[in-house]
Amino acid sequence: MKKTLAAVAVFLSATAAQAEYPEKPIEVIVGYSAGGGTDVMARTVAQFLEKELGDGASVVVKNMPGAGGQIGFTEVAKAAPDGYTLGTFNLPAALALTKDRDADYKVNSFTYLANFVEDPNTVVVAASSEFQSLGELLDAAKAEPGAITVGLSSLGGNDHFSANMIAAASGAEFTLVPFKGASMARTAIMGGHVAAGTMALSQTTSFGDDLRVLAVLADERSPFSPDVPTAKELGLDVEMSSLRGIVGPAGMDQAVAERLRAALSAVNENPEFQKMMADQGNPMVFMVGDDFAATSAAQDSVAAKIWEETPWK
Amino acid sequence: MYNDLLHALPNVFALTNFIAVVIGVIAGIVVGAMPGLSATMAISVLVPFTFGLEPLVALGLMAGIYNGAMYGGAIPAVLLRIPGTPAAVATTFDGYPMAQRGEGGFALQVAVVSSSIGGIASAFALMLLAPPLSRVTLLFGPSEVFWVAVFGLASIIFLLGGNPVKGLISACFGVFVSVIGSDPIFGNDRFTFGRLEMLDGINIVILLVGLYALPPVIDLLETPLKTDGVNSSKLGTESIWKALPRMKSYWKTWLRGSLIGIWIGILPGAGGSMAAFMSYNEARRTSKTPETWGEGEPEGVAAAEVANNADTASALIPALTLGIPGTAVAAVMLGGLLVHGLQPGPMLFRDNPDIVFGFMWQFLFGAILLVLLGGSLATNSFARLLNLPRPLLGAVIIVLMLIGVYTIHGRMFDVYLMLGFGAIGWVMDRLKFPLPPVVLGLILGGFAEENLRLALRIGRGDPMILFQNTTSLILVALTIAVIVGPTLKRRYFDSRMKM
Repeated sequence: MKKTLAAVAVFLSATAAQAEYPEKPIEVIVGYSAGGGTDVMARTVAQFLEKELGDGASVVVKNMPGAGGQIGFTEVAKAAPDGYTLGTFNLPAALALTKDRDADYKVNSFTYLANFVEDPNTVVVAASSEFQSLGELLDAAKAEPGAITVGLSSLGGNDHFSANMIAAASGAEFTLVPFKGASMARTAIMGGHVAAGTMALSQTTSFGDDLRVLAVLADERSPFSPDVPTAKELGLDVEMSSLRGIVGPAGMDQAVAERLRAALSAVNENPEFQKMMADQGNPMVFMVGDDFAATSAAQDSVAAKIWEETPWK
Repeated sequence: MYNDLLHALPNVFALTNFIAVVIGVIAGIVVGAMPGLSATMAISVLVPFTFGLEPLVALGLMAGIYNGAMYGGAIPAVLLRIPGTPAAVATTFDGYPMAQRGEGGFALQVAVVSSSIGGIASAFALMLLAPPLSRVTLLFGPSEVFWVAVFGLASIIFLLGGNPVKGLISACFGVFVSVIGSDPIFGNDRFTFGRLEMLDGINIVILLVGLYALPPVIDLLETPLKTDGVNSSKLGTESIWKALPRMKSYWKTWLRGSLIGIWIGILPGAGGSMAAFMSYNEARRTSKTPETWGEGEPEGVAAAEVANNADTASALIPALTLGIPGTAVAAVMLGGLLVHGLQPGPMLFRDNPDIVFGFMWQFLFGAILLVLLGGSLATNSFARLLNLPRPLLGAVIIVLMLIGVYTIHGRMFDVYLMLGFGAIGWVMDRLKFPLPPVVLGLILGGFAEENLRLALRIGRGDPMILFQNTTSLILVALTIAVIVGPTLKRRYFDSRMKM
């Protein structure tokens, strides 16, 4: 009897939660400081999500920068799965952190809601560089192993993984130079201090006169730079990108998770939202629920493999 | 381009945009004047709120805050020997002795006029020379930047005077603090004791507040009835129009300090405190009466304050053109631009000329407004604080410090860390160890390490990479000159005396 009552109570409160959700402000935790690319995405999504949830819903972005995003990711993973704490999720960065240190979360510590941005990596040189094509660059790197320096935004991120995957696929050997952030790496490429880079496509688009993008590491050409061939076209089967989406803690109530997924899908379909994201230079690839979770699992095994073969610390 | 500059002007004078600058300057002065609150923090708090504002209102606020705070930091530096911001450390050297002599009012006036001049020079550099100066930034790769840091450290240790052994020990402590956190290349944890909070290293504001603000506050609390015997509670303020003629002879210092500030600004990473120290050193080195420096020489205040404002707008040159901010504040402002969909890069100037050039004008007007707002209004009202009973003043400052440090990341851990540094600072103060080398050791140590290691990776372990181009060699020569220069000069004079 007691058990039945308890079950009824749980059922009632669950339906109540579903009916009234959200009854208090929803927090979106961003593991980086205000004004970064991830933060701007979170704020843009939050603004539209409020409208979609309707009924005076409030979505508040909270920045918890530190430890390369780890503090924020941990906060989300450990939060109560009641739908009131969500977070931004960066792939492969968030999962790379679980390989090179003892993080308090894993790939399955999250409920995957929706991914918005997928920014493919590139191979890029300065506009004044002697290398006109990916082939020339790789030939030089093979002729004298290590002679080609490659600027990265950090070790253990998508730039680094890109460089490693290209090296593995082509047999070339690079000297990796991890700067503090993509802009520093880009400046070093432009100044001729390193020979090449593997930064994300969105980092190159404003610098068309100073940089030459040799290849995009995606399965098809990007609408942002349709003239640039994919690595696959050039005979290298390498794909790498950085993804940004929204997750919640694992074990969220199904009904609440579905409500959020529906709302986030509606956000994505809003042309006004699409325009804002495009103005911010974000290449969009929308994935919801299981698709997003599958992508995350795939990224997790890529990170694990690279960590196993070429540990970076 | 200059057409665009003029075209952007009318928009700047739209009422809301102009009011934003005024409010920004006032808020900046207040924030800068409070130990523990810095421009970086004020602007990072502001960034999320600007999401809903018009771009020029948001950017005007930021430009105003940046300019205001760089001067505001001088107020407690002069009156209490507590630098309000990291960039105001050099202002304490002569500002506080002046205040003790009863000339605090004049010191603040020198500070505000110098700040304003530095800010105006910097704004002009940004407006007129941004694209060519960004090419200069490109010349500085890891090995060149490493030498800049070494040059900075050498000039501080060898020129700052005092006991060089104690100075060196202080600098080493600062460099040690810079080592804490994950290492810049591989991300291995160093001295973090497994705390996530330590992974990003020690924030400069935590160190500064602990070292610089806590010891003077303890003094304030220790001496409830003592009025410290001197005239520091009297300001001796006179009209700024009477004070201005006394500053005529500083023009060389202003010019030099502005150029140094602009130059440091366009290099990524070093920031206002290095600019202020270098300007102070250079001005003292060329002064006819170097012995009065540190004893309350108004020109010392001028040198420090002109330079720490001269790097404000110029720090935005690499930020706007290359996406690499010259200072921590510029980094946060870059975030503010991003929020408004303004992506850094050469396209920024073509796609959004009204906003970008309007922002530059706002820097210029912010710097000019500084004299009007900072001159009488702020100086007078803050000086009143000094009439508070000393223990009350001390208590107020402690509360500000705690709040300021807590709000950096919103965690108590930083507060405990700050109190720990406070204890170290108090001991160092009693044992007469100089504090400025600690601050610079922290800033430049990390900077030097990161760039040395990047350079060596680029050179695949060959140290010759550090000497491979002209820019590096010039910096090496300058460093050597700084180290052996004073000794050679003395030898030369000695030998002439003998003849």
